[in-house]
Amino acid sequence: MAKKPRVALIVGSGSVKCAAALGLWKALDRAGIPIDMLVGCSGGSLYTSTMALGFSLDECISYTKALWNEKVTAEKNWKALLGMVFPKLFKFDHHFGMISDRQMMKNLRQVFGNKTFQDAKIPLTIMTTDFYTGEQVPLTSGSIVDAIRASIAIPFIWGAHQVGDRFLIDGAASDPMPVDIAIKEGAEVILAMGFQAPLPSKVRSVSRYAFHVNGIMTNNLYQSNFAFHNAVHHAEIIPIFPQFDRSIRLFDTDQIPYVIEQGEKAAEEQMPYIQKLLNS
Amino acid sequence: MEISITKGTVDIISVNGSVDALTSPELVKVLNDHIHNGHPNIVVDFEKVEFMSSAGLRAILASVKEARTAGGDFRLAAPQPSIEKVLKMAGFHNIVKIYPTVSEAIASFG
Repeated sequence: MAKKPRVALIVGSGSVKCAAALGLWKALDRAGIPIDMLVGCSGGSLYTSTMALGFSLDECISYTKALWNEKVTAEKNWKALLGMVFPKLFKFDHHFGMISDRQMMKNLRQVFGNKTFQDAKIPLTIMTTDFYTGEQVPLTSGSIVDAIRASIAIPFIWGAHQVGDRFLIDGAASDPMPVDIAIKEGAEVILAMGFQAPLPSKVRSVSRYAFHVNGIMTNNLYQSNFAFHNAVHHAEIIPIFPQFDRSIRLFDTDQIPYVIEQGEKAAEEQMPYIQKLLNS
Repeated sequence: MEISITKGTVDIISVNGSVDALTSPELVKVLNDHIHNGHPNIVVDFEKVEFMSSAGLRAILASVKEARTAGGDFRLAAPQPSIEKVLKMAGFHNIVKIYPTVSEAIASFG
């Protein structure tokens, strides 16, 4: 690589586990490795957005706790639930999701306000999926709140979110770890942090069932895409997969310090090679 | 990265170190030369591989295709858990025969 390689950081879907990206961020910052582009999907969109907007690590941690907690799933979407039983009466449509997005939108607005992609200090892409066509829809302009809301619209749990004239859902439905965006944009060194969805051995509620089936499909898609991206990239994809010795559930925000620590540890293991590659 | 070859009923190619963008061209050359020198059946011992990136995955894939085109097979042995995770994530367990030990990989050739 004669010229300075362009470095992309990808943070794939993985709910609270995506906070490990903050540990990776710390390690990169300490080593003085700048990032040229950020790509986030689903839970990863929260962290890539805060990084791109230039928030400090402490701000990122406190915003995560404010954004992502059990309150965001406390309010059921009764219209949608009734729509399951009486679809015509309650006008069942793409807005179906068992949980109301009212609290989540409130939280997102508190943290990101009216920020847009233009406010980002590092170019940012947030991956979403078109509900009607199934196509990947990478967002690079407009409201950050709308982009994150769409990117984390886990099927069955939260309804599609309208951005422009499209109805968008979770980016994980089409591209759980969007390495392809960085390949297409010409990044040479791609740091890819991703997570497999946990699959519990017992499923005792409709929402758990929905999460479970969604997790099976996402995990398989994640592996297929990862294989394809590795085969076609001309330069280097460095996988950074933090190891967790305990189960990290959807809203285990109290585990964030541990998750960050594991992200930092996984990043440190790859750091000698990353530095060698960037200096070669 | 260091590569050594042990001759036997099936030749074992042992790799030590990182398999990445800086080292994989050498690995591909050694493996492909060996395959084309009349040894299409090979066991690649990964016990001492501590890191593998996308370039490493592409190197394996290239040599697997070379071995099979030459009428043999490339079988991988003893990857460390972290390497096995990357292999699994990239779907390699579906297309490459991977064994926990070198002896099991050799025995698999029958």
